[in-house]
Amino acid sequence: MPVVKLTVNGTRYEEEVPERLLLVDFLRERLALTGTHVGCTFEGVCGACTIHLDGEAVKSCLMLAVQADGHEITTIEGLAGDTLTPLQAAFREHHSLQCGFCTPGILMNMSDFLRENPDPSEDEIRRGLVGNLCRCTGYVHIVRAVKDAARRMRGEA
Amino acid sequence: MFPARIEHYARPRTVAEALAALSRCEPGEAIFLAGGQSAMQAIKSRMLRPQALVDLQAVAELKGITLTGGALTIGAMTRYADIARDARLGGAFGALTDAASHVGDRQVRNRGTIGGSVCWNYVAACTPTAVLATGGRMNLGATSGATRSLAADDFLLGPLETARQDDELLLSVSWDAPAARTGSAYAKWGLVTDALPVIGVGVSVTQDASGKCVQARVALAGLAGGAQRGPAAEVLLMGSAGDAATIDAAFAALAAEADTHSDLSADADYRRQLIQSLGREVAQRAFDRARA
Ligand SMILES: Cc1cc2nc3c(=O)[nH]c(=O)nc-3n(C[C@H](O)[C@H](O)[C@H](O)COP(=O)(O)OP(=O)(O)OC[C@H]3O[C@@H](n4cnc5c(N)ncnc54)[C@H](O)[C@@H]3O)c2cc1C
Ligand code: FES
Ligand code: FES
Repeated sequence: MPVVKLTVNGTRYEEEVPERLLLVDFLRERLALTGTHVGCTFEGVCGACTIHLDGEAVKSCLMLAVQADGHEITTIEGLAGDTLTPLQAAFREHHSLQCGFCTPGILMNMSDFLRENPDPSEDEIRRGLVGNLCRCTGYVHIVRAVKDAARRMRGEA
Repeated sequence: MFPARIEHYARPRTVAEALAALSRCEPGEAIFLAGGQSAMQAIKSRMLRPQALVDLQAVAELKGITLTGGALTIGAMTRYADIARDARLGGAFGALTDAASHVGDRQVRNRGTIGGSVCWNYVAACTPTAVLATGGRMNLGATSGATRSLAADDFLLGPLETARQDDELLLSVSWDAPAARTGSAYAKWGLVTDALPVIGVGVSVTQDASGKCVQARVALAGLAGGAQRGPAAEVLLMGSAGDAATIDAAFAALAAEADTHSDLSADADYRRQLIQSLGREVAQRAFDRARA
């Protein structure tokens, strides 16, 4: 069985994995990082499994664990330090989640999005969110939180 | 869902190693893995059950966008995100950035590649149509060491079919230096923002110094036959001044002739409407870019 050496949320792991193991299942079942969710069967359309691969948002259900060898991964568990990130805080304040199933994936995608686009328009935020399905909120509060987080991260009141 | 058993996984670092890894497998047993944004769907649903995977992610020589004297080469493993943000690719290559920047969603664009897209040649996909409209060439290398270069017209055979042989690796897609005053564009309509095209239209045109259209290529996405040229519109655009009336007539003719079908996303008449309205918008943008 192949051995993968990778860093997840700052911790180095060296694990034997079968070739066919999906990265999302490796994270959830081997490392017990169950904040990364699975919302679709094979299509890769819901975005619940979004993680950062070397800092970029990707869907971990469309990757094999063996492919992560030598790479650096951040999951929702590794997003915050001692305090919530401005994006997470904004989600809480703006009631941007109801059941919360989609939230980890959205936070991972939008934190990468804000790094790339620190001053997004509402349109750009909505387009950035296309890869994440939320069945509860109707997106309005999510968009509001991303906008507010962007403002705070730019140092505006 | 998860994949069926996979016996071997290889992550070559060079094209030579990738071809060597492929040649160690029985024909048809192994597949290349590019961005995985289509292949992994197929592997998880077990439509594909490869014995071996040759992952191209670490092959640096397959990545990157090179412009030399106007000629363009895009490595097969270049991602949509990289094509979308390359500011050099306007004008004659505008269709490529139009297509790349609206594929799926940002997570898909961070992973999916131009090479994977043309090799998969999905029935309704953006990149094959944009490459066909702009007249790209597919450069292939075989395990025997042989190489060949095929025009998009000869490479894209139909839904999920290409002229690529099992022992061939797509190395790059390339374009000759475009003639002066060439512009191209691509747009699609889907059920949600940036979704797979119900209809997609790509157009490339060249004007001479007097403004006469001397080269026109039109390609469609979303028909049952997969990415295909639209000669009915091309003949009307050729020789014209790229004026609104000609563009209208060209896409009315193409819409009337196109073999559209009805399905859950749209009926045949609606697809004709889309060909006309998207065609007008895209051709206009292509001419604007040619004039710029
Ligand atoms: C949610 C979602 C939305 C999407 N939306 C769109 C959309 O709007 N428009 C659109 O056009 N597409 C869309 N796609 C598909 C996407 O464009 C895929 O990235 C593309 O079809 C395949 O490219 P890939 O790099 O991911 O290749 P892979 O999936 O890794 O490979 C595809 C096939 O090509 C072969 N292959 C790959 N590279 C090579 C090579 N260099 N040489 C030989 N064979 C090779 C593989 O063996 C495999 O058979 C979407 C996908 C998803 C998951
Ligand atoms: S689980 Fe739905 S996109 Fe990955
Ligand atoms: S909060 Fe329930 S799916 Fe988004």
